[in-house]
Amino acid sequence: MAKVRCAWFDFTSCEGCQIEMTNFGAPFLQLLDHVEIVEFREVMKETTDEPIDIAFIEGSFSREEDRARLESIRERAGVVIAFGACAATGGINALKNHMDMDDYKKCVYGDDSNMPHLDTQKAMPISAAIKVDMAINGCPMSRDEFVRIVTQVIHGTEKVYVPSYPVCVECKLRETVCRYEEGDHCLGPIALAGCGAPCPADGIPCEACRGMVVDANQESMEKVLQENGGMSEKRAKDKSRMFTANFRSDA
Amino acid sequence: MSGYYIPSEGLQSFAQSLMAKMPVVAPVAKGKRFIFDQLGDVAELRLDYDTTVLPPKKVFFPPKQDLLEFDEGKATSCLDPQAKVLLGVHPYDIKAISMTDKLFSDNYADSNYLANREVAVIIGSNVQTPYERAFYGSIAQDLELVGHDAFLTKISDGYVLDVVTEKGEKLIADLGLADASAEQTSEAEGVNAKADEDCPVKLPFAAGDVSEKVRNSFKSEIWDELSKDCFSCGSCNLVCPTCYCFDVQDEWGLGASNGKRYRRWDGCLSSEFSEVSVQGGSENFRENRAERYRHRFMRKTAYLNDKLGAPACVGCGRCAGACTADIADPVNTITRIMES
Ligand code: SF4
Ligand code: SF4
Ligand code: SF4
Ligand code: SF4
Ligand code: SF4
Repeated sequence: MAKVRCAWFDFTSCEGCQIEMTNFGAPFLQLLDHVEIVEFREVMKETTDEPIDIAFIEGSFSREEDRARLESIRERAGVVIAFGACAATGGINALKNHMDMDDYKKCVYGDDSNMPHLDTQKAMPISAAIKVDMAINGCPMSRDEFVRIVTQVIHGTEKVYVPSYPVCVECKLRETVCRYEEGDHCLGPIALAGCGAPCPADGIPCEACRGMVVDANQESMEKVLQENGGMSEKRAKDKSRMFTANFRSDA
Repeated sequence: MSGYYIPSEGLQSFAQSLMAKMPVVAPVAKGKRFIFDQLGDVAELRLDYDTTVLPPKKVFFPPKQDLLEFDEGKATSCLDPQAKVLLGVHPYDIKAISMTDKLFSDNYADSNYLANREVAVIIGSNVQTPYERAFYGSIAQDLELVGHDAFLTKISDGYVLDVVTEKGEKLIADLGLADASAEQTSEAEGVNAKADEDCPVKLPFAAGDVSEKVRNSFKSEIWDELSKDCFSCGSCNLVCPTCYCFDVQDEWGLGASNGKRYRRWDGCLSSEFSEVSVQGGSENFRENRAERYRHRFMRKTAYLNDKLGAPACVGCGRCAGACTADIADPVNTITRIMES
C-alpha cells in the first residue's frame, strides 16, 4: 500500500482533539506505517497546498470568512473527515447558539469584547459549509474510533460502519451498572454510541459529547431526567444543551 | 443421580476446590447490582444475589465475539473453547439457557455458541433473594428445568447439591462431599417446591391466552401508546437471557491484507437492526419505534412458543429494571393488552 497523505486543519475549537492524537500509544504508531502526515500544526511546521488523501478538519464553522478555506481543503482532499465534536456537530461551541452575540461576547471577553474579529455566527458543524464524508465524534474524539475508522479508510472502504444506536447499547454490552440504578442521571439513551460508553463505566453520567442519535426521543429524556434523575423541569430541559445544542428540537 | 450435603461454612472451600480445576464464573457484587464474573477470590461469591445485569449466556455467547481472522485470503476460526464452571445459575436462567441451546442448534448449528456451551459445567442455585421485578413464578411453568449439571439448594444449615448429569458427577467425584441425609434432601425439595411463591410479581394470564390476544392486537394503536417513551436503546433486548440476535461485521486490521470478523449482540429495538441493503441503498422494514416495540412483544409472547414449548420469556424481570423509561416490563405491557 502506498502511504496515505493526511493533513489536519483547525477551525473554531480548543484543538483538544489534535492534542488527544499526540497522546496515542501503540495502535497510532502502527498506523503511521501507512500514513504520511503532510500538515499538522500541533506537531510540525510544514504546511501543504498539494492534494491530500484524507483531510481531518477540527473545529466548527462559526465565521463566514472560514468558508473559502474550508472549500479549498475540500477541493484538494479525497476524503474529508470531521474530526471531533466541534466539527461533527458544532460541539460545545453551539452552547452559544441560543444566546445573543453581545451577551456571550461580553461574558467571555469582557472589556475586549468589541474587537471586530470576535464577531461570529452560530457555531455549526463543518458540513454546513462543505460536503463531509465521515465523522469521528466525541469531545475529545475517541482514539479507538479514530484508529478503527482510519484503518478502514486507508483500505479503501468507502462506507465505514459506525453505530447509529444510543450509548446504552455499549454500556449494556460491557455490563456497566446503569447510572439511574445508582441514583444518578445520564444522557446515554439519546447519545450516539461509538465511544464504547467509557463515562458510565467510570461512574459518571454520559453527557452526549458525541451528539444525539437520529431519532432521539427528547421528550422522554426530559421525563426520565425528572422522574428518575431527580431534576427540575428547567434543568432537565437544559441538560442536553452542553454538547448537543444543534440537535435540540428548539435549535 | 445423587445428592450431597455442604455445610454453610464449607461453601467457600467447595468453590475453591472447583477453582483449582477450572475457572469458575459466578455471581459477584458490582455497585448496587450483581454480575457473573470469573471468581478471583472465593470470598466474592454471592449466592444471595437477586439477579445479574447481563444473563449467564454471555459465558457461551459473549457480547462481542471474534469469529475469524483473515490474512492474504486465508481465514482462521477464533473458536477457542475453555472449560468453565458456571456456578449459581437461577432456575429461570437455566430455562433460558435450555432455550438458547435449542435456538442455536436447530436448523443451523452455531458452532461459535455450541463449542463454548459444551465445555461448560452448569451448577444452578435456588433463588435466595428474589429480584423485585421478577415474575418467574408465573411464566414458563410448563418448561422442564433441564440443561444444568448440578443444583445447589440452600437449606437451614447449609446446601444440598443435587448432581444430575455425568459431567456434574465427574466434576465433583474427587471432592469427598458427604451424602445428603433423607431429612436434608426433603428440606431441599420443600424449598424448591415453594420457590415460586416468593416471586414478587405475578403475571395472572395463561400463556395461550396471552399469545392469542397479543397476536390479535397486531394492528391495534395500543403499540403507539405503549412505545411513546421508547429510546430504541435496546437495553430490554441486551439484558434478556432468551434474546439471541447478533450483528456480524468485518473489519480491516492495520496490516496490508489482514482483518477480522466479529459478532456483537444486537436487538430488535434498535433501528439499525431492521435496516437492510436494497439495490445500493437501504430500507428499514420496522421504521418506527412502535413497530419495533411490538415486534419484541410478539417474539416474547407468541412467535416462538411452538418451537420452545413456552413463551420466550422466563420472567427474570431484567428488562423491566433495565429500561430507563420503564416501559419494557412484560407484566405491565401484557396486562395492558389483555385488558384492552
Ligand atoms: S471536540 Fe472537544 S476536544 Fe475536540 S476541539 Fe472541540 S472542544 Fe476541543
Ligand atoms: S448508564 Fe447511561 S448509557 Fe448506561 S444504560 Fe444507563 S442510561 Fe444508558
Ligand atoms: S459516554 Fe457519553 S459523554 Fe462519554 S464519551 Fe461516550 S458519548 Fe461522550
Ligand atoms: S423499551 Fe425501554 S429498554 Fe427497550 S428500547 Fe425502549 S427504552 Fe430501551
Ligand atoms: S423478556 Fe424480560 S423478563 Fe422475560 S426473559 Fe427477557 S429480560 Fe427476562
